[in-house]
Amino acid sequence: MTEAAPIDAATTASSGRRLSAGTQTYLYVSMLIIAGIVIIPLLTTALGGFKTLGELRGNPFGLPAEWQWSNYGNILTSQRYWMQMGNSLLIAGLTVFLTLLFASMAAFTFAHVKFFGSDFLLNYFLIGLMFPAATAILPLFIRIRDLGLLDTYWGVVLPQVAFGLGMSILLFRNYFKNLPPELFDAAFVDGAGYLRFFWHISLPLSRPIIATVGIISFVGSWNSYILPLIMLNSESKYPWPLGIMVYRGEFSTDWQLILAFITLTILPTVIVFFAAQKHIIAGLTAGAVK
Amino acid sequence: MAGLELRNLEKSYGAVSVIEDINLTVADGEFVALVGPSGCGKSTILRMVAGLEEITGGDILIGDRVVNDLTPRERNIAMVFQSYALYPHMSVYRNLSFNLELAGKPKAEIERRVIQAARMLELEPLLERKPSQLSGGQRQRVAMGRAVVRDPSVFLFDEPLSNLDAKLRVQMRGEIKALHKKVGVTSIYVTHDQVEAMTLADRVVVLNRGVIQQSGSPMELYRRPANLFVAGFIGSPAMNFVDAVMQDGLARSAEGTDFAFAAGQKLAEGQAVVVGVRPEHLLVGGEGTAITGQISFVEPTGGQTFVTLDVHGRPVTVVISGEDDIALDGALTVRAAPHHVYVFDAASGERVSEN
Ligand SMILES: Nc1ncnc2c1ncn2[C@@H]1O[C@H](COP(=O)(O)OP(=O)(O)O)[C@@H](O)[C@H]1O
Ligand SMILES: [Mg+2]
Repeated sequence: MTEAAPIDAATTASSGRRLSAGTQTYLYVSMLIIAGIVIIPLLTTALGGFKTLGELRGNPFGLPAEWQWSNYGNILTSQRYWMQMGNSLLIAGLTVFLTLLFASMAAFTFAHVKFFGSDFLLNYFLIGLMFPAATAILPLFIRIRDLGLLDTYWGVVLPQVAFGLGMSILLFRNYFKNLPPELFDAAFVDGAGYLRFFWHISLPLSRPIIATVGIISFVGSWNSYILPLIMLNSESKYPWPLGIMVYRGEFSTDWQLILAFITLTILPTVIVFFAAQKHIIAGLTAGAVK
Repeated sequence: MAGLELRNLEKSYGAVSVIEDINLTVADGEFVALVGPSGCGKSTILRMVAGLEEITGGDILIGDRVVNDLTPRERNIAMVFQSYALYPHMSVYRNLSFNLELAGKPKAEIERRVIQAARMLELEPLLERKPSQLSGGQRQRVAMGRAVVRDPSVFLFDEPLSNLDAKLRVQMRGEIKALHKKVGVTSIYVTHDQVEAMTLADRVVVLNRGVIQQSGSPMELYRRPANLFVAGFIGSPAMNFVDAVMQDGLARSAEGTDFAFAAGQKLAEGQAVVVGVRPEHLLVGGEGTAITGQISFVEPTGGQTFVTLDVHGRPVTVVISGEDDIALDGALTVRAAPHHVYVFDAASGERVSEN
């Protein structure tokens, strides 16, 4: 065949407009301030983990006079640290899996099937966006107790999934709605029904939104403190954020160890975020520019 | 393989009627083009045949079977979409194999059929690519391959070439025709482009506002348009029209030009009619009714030149041979022979001349 290659749109599109020097300075300064607000507590925490408790009292912000590597070393070599990481991963993994499963299936239905009460039901789910789990902690506790799920992983996972559904369904639904409708026609002619269309077409085309929803619910679960604190009793089931409890004595608290511990639990999320950054941002802005 | 029949087919969206009482029979192996202006209901008909759209009334038969309530798969139709609707995340191979896979065909058979279809459409070197790595023409070919591979009873095409550039469109037109010769499957081809319809189809069905205007071979539609709409729609450049009134067996226009023509039926004195003459039938130095106008512009296309005359403030298009040595400024007189003059009843739009 002798067809001309299609002209690459990118080569002809003009690049973004130039900003004036004043605007640029303004942007840089505000971004530096925002970055500082984020980085300073992180750095303080990480550095604090290298100090002794005494030094921490007198010199909370500066570099440590003597680097106490053992603070970190002891945590890393303790069995508890790794066990709690396993708990965190298990709880977050289950939360992510169930959130993706339920949210994508519900969103698919809301995007493609019109049934009696579908609008009402969607709005009902979206109302969930307005209630952080913490506000419902007492009724949740009672419900979980009645279900006999206290002190189980499910007692943490199920409420997390439920409270994440509103946002996740919204994100999935918008994405599914923006898939070209002819794909549906083509697949239907090819012999697919709703289920196969969902599985073979919608989901594979939704990788950015799967990544986005997955990361949002992962981070939510990872950082969750109140919910596991209320639902879990056995230390052997504690996720990472509850791990700091160990260092809070009745009479004194080992703040330097808490800071080191927190640093070690933040690190994996930061790494994951940098690894998946592209997908997260693509997913959040998907459909905005078309 | 099987023929197709539409019986009193109707479609309305709420109170809005889009398709009114369509009756159409497509013989086994026939290639029928459904042509009409944008929004006249072509896609709706095709989608109803495919089973993608509920029907409001009437019956659809494939072979001798009423398929009204069957799914697209059970109807065993294949459809090529205007936007191709290729699955963007699947390779060309998987795009072709998807429906066989869903049908649960054995792997060996799937491979054999995909390779066969790919060979027929020269897609073999592209099987591993994703749709985004293909040119427009190649995507079009994959869309056709996806339809061919399943060996359907009926092929449905919804404006499959309208996203291609002019040159490629002509090439693919030829390939579709060749493909139909090879596989001989009953086909309905929807387009708004009358040239595409005429060049491709055994039979052309002209549709307007959800109603079939005329159905016939391309030359029948060209030579004997049933009404004003078909006369104006078929043929390029379009037929010239002028309002007239019957007087002494001639059609007299408002400017007083008397058109001689062969009447097909008795016409009342004073009856309001519309006279139509095709641009290619207005001949310089021919015989018949003379029309004179000022040349307002000239469009050479090579073999032919389109000349627009200003006749009493009305544009009249004339086609002359590009080789003709005619002075193209000032006034021009052309003549319309009686057997080339079409006359339509102004009220009903029906043709009343004999042609
Ligand atoms: N879902 C719908 N609801 C209401 N009207 C529709 C719908 N789909 C199509 N129509 C109308 O039906 C008519 C025919 O549409 P269509 O079959 O797509 O035309 P064509 O393919 O000939 O351009 C149009 O006037 C269009 O506005
Ligand atoms: Mg259409």
